Amino acid sequence: MNPFYDFLEQNSLYIVMIIVLLVWFGIFAFTFNLEKRVKKLEEKLNQ
Amino acid sequence: MRAFWKYLLLILMTLVILGGLIPPIVAYPKNFFEFPLIPGLEDKARIIFFHVPTAWLTVLAYLIAMFYGIRYLKKKNIYDDMKSVSAAALGLVFCILATVTGSVWAKFTWGSFWHWDPRETSIFILLLIYGAYFALRSALDSEEKRARLSAIYSIIAFLTTPFFIFIMPRLMIGLHPGSLEIDPATGQIRASANPVIKFQMAANMRVVFFLSLTAFTILYFWFWNLTHRILKLEYNSQKEI
Repeated sequence: MNPFYDFLEQNSLYIVMIIVLLVWFGIFAFTFNLEKRVKKLEEKLNQ
Repeated sequence: MRAFWKYLLLILMTLVILGGLIPPIVAYPKNFFEFPLIPGLEDKARIIFFHVPTAWLTVLAYLIAMFYGIRYLKKKNIYDDMKSVSAAALGLVFCILATVTGSVWAKFTWGSFWHWDPRETSIFILLLIYGAYFALRSALDSEEKRARLSAIYSIIAFLTTPFFIFIMPRLMIGLHPGSLEIDPATGQIRASANPVIKFQMAANMRVVFFLSLTAFTILYFWFWNLTHRILKLEYNSQKEI
């Protein structure tokens, strides 16, 4: 099969790494969205 | 939120990432820092430190959404509605994370990203229920009506959550750890004998696991605190203009 898939299957620690990365991306996206909302508020309050 | 909690979160989450990834997995653990090998699971067992807490936060967030929904109905304080909606939004974020991380694990343990295991089906329905919550909110213009209806909806929606997360997947035949299977000898339904499904954490894994739950819970409260404060500011700045 796909060599990348086989590699991951044999070294399953990397699968855990992918999962940790996914959680981190989710947290990052959420924080990024918060930042955007704060920025909008700042612009509004500075007007 | 006090600085103490943020430092605690920093320390705990660092410990969880190190403690979850570093300990070697061996067939017969002799030292406290070794995790036992589960055939068919191997290193993938470590997902429990990062996937289960996201599912736990989903339940916690929906519970808090309901709690503040009820409080809104009692006191008609619009800030309670903000707390409720920001909890539900975080719940949805972590519900999606639980689904996606579980799906990646399923690809390498079961062979496909998605195949409607009872656990997958139940979290999918939960996603739909809370997706509908936000559809409901965006469909209503009147602030008071939106707060009232979504408070009522959050109560009804939360009543289904324990069923979908804790009960249904444990009552059905499936592949997710904790499911049942049919005994090939007698044809009766029984707790699964498959090592992956009957997987129980060793004592040292349990320590890391509970540290992880604590760390994610603090992370949740921090985010929740930030979101409802921002909502409050947005609301107040709108009123002034």
